[in-house]
Amino acid sequence: MVDWSIAVPSFLTALVEWVEAFTIVLAVSLSIGWRGAIGAALAGLATLAVLTAVSGGLLATGIDIGLVQFVIGVFLLLFGVRWLAKAIARYAGLKPLHDEAAEFAETRAKLSGDWAAGWTVAFKGVLLEGLEVWLVVVALGTRSPGGAGLASSIGAALAALLLTCLVGAAVRAPLERVPENTIKFVVGAMIVSFGTFWTMEGIGGEAVWPYSDWTLLILGAFYLLAGLAAGTVLRNQVQRRVA
Amino acid sequence: MGPFIKTLFGDARNVAVVAAVVVLEFVLIRSGFGREAMLLVPVATMAGVVWLAPR
Repeated sequence: MVDWSIAVPSFLTALVEWVEAFTIVLAVSLSIGWRGAIGAALAGLATLAVLTAVSGGLLATGIDIGLVQFVIGVFLLLFGVRWLAKAIARYAGLKPLHDEAAEFAETRAKLSGDWAAGWTVAFKGVLLEGLEVWLVVVALGTRSPGGAGLASSIGAALAALLLTCLVGAAVRAPLERVPENTIKFVVGAMIVSFGTFWTMEGIGGEAVWPYSDWTLLILGAFYLLAGLAAGTVLRNQVQRRVA
Repeated sequence: MGPFIKTLFGDARNVAVVAAVVVLEFVLIRSGFGREAMLLVPVATMAGVVWLAPR
């Protein structure tokens, strides 16, 4: 049975990262051909699959769940705080919106026919973008016991990968229409919520949160609304400075 | 190795914000202020995020 509280954040996080990875692979394919680019992407995905299997297996061996929650919570905070800060900066106009078209052109220009460089760029692109997917898949996947959580998380990440490949193959152009910053805002708030929840539960046990899992909704709403408010204030400051 | 480390941990400012939040959680919860931590930690985390945003 699918655990939607795990599948949804896993899917959204994976979607953003796969779109970025796909853009790089697409640009590389124009320099070294589809066969080389897909080979590099598959090698990156295989490395990620091994990482997921090993880390998921280690976590299922019965080590102290409080410690696991704490460590994973810290990683989620490291990841989510960064995403939320970037989303606020982009919303406020302090940083340019992530431009897949620019990344596509830049990657293509860098390669100019060098097969080995192209293969490495595609491999590293898939591996590095996928590492963020791996972090969230493993972190959220260990939330429910018995492997159901990990299955939901992995399934959602694979669904996002499939969707990206299908849409990407259909349009065969950088995926500019995906509103990346909106997704990043929502996912950043969700990931920071999980990070706060788990680090505190890891330190103080379940009693820390009197509303148990419902607290995640409250935390998510708080981070999202506070992020939007902060973004609006910063945007007004930027506009005032320009005027 | 650099991009790998940065992907996992972010930059030094990011690590500093998260470290400060975790220390605050630890001090509050272990001192018996768990209820206060519930309110203070999200606010402190958000303050760190807002501090990071323009940097």
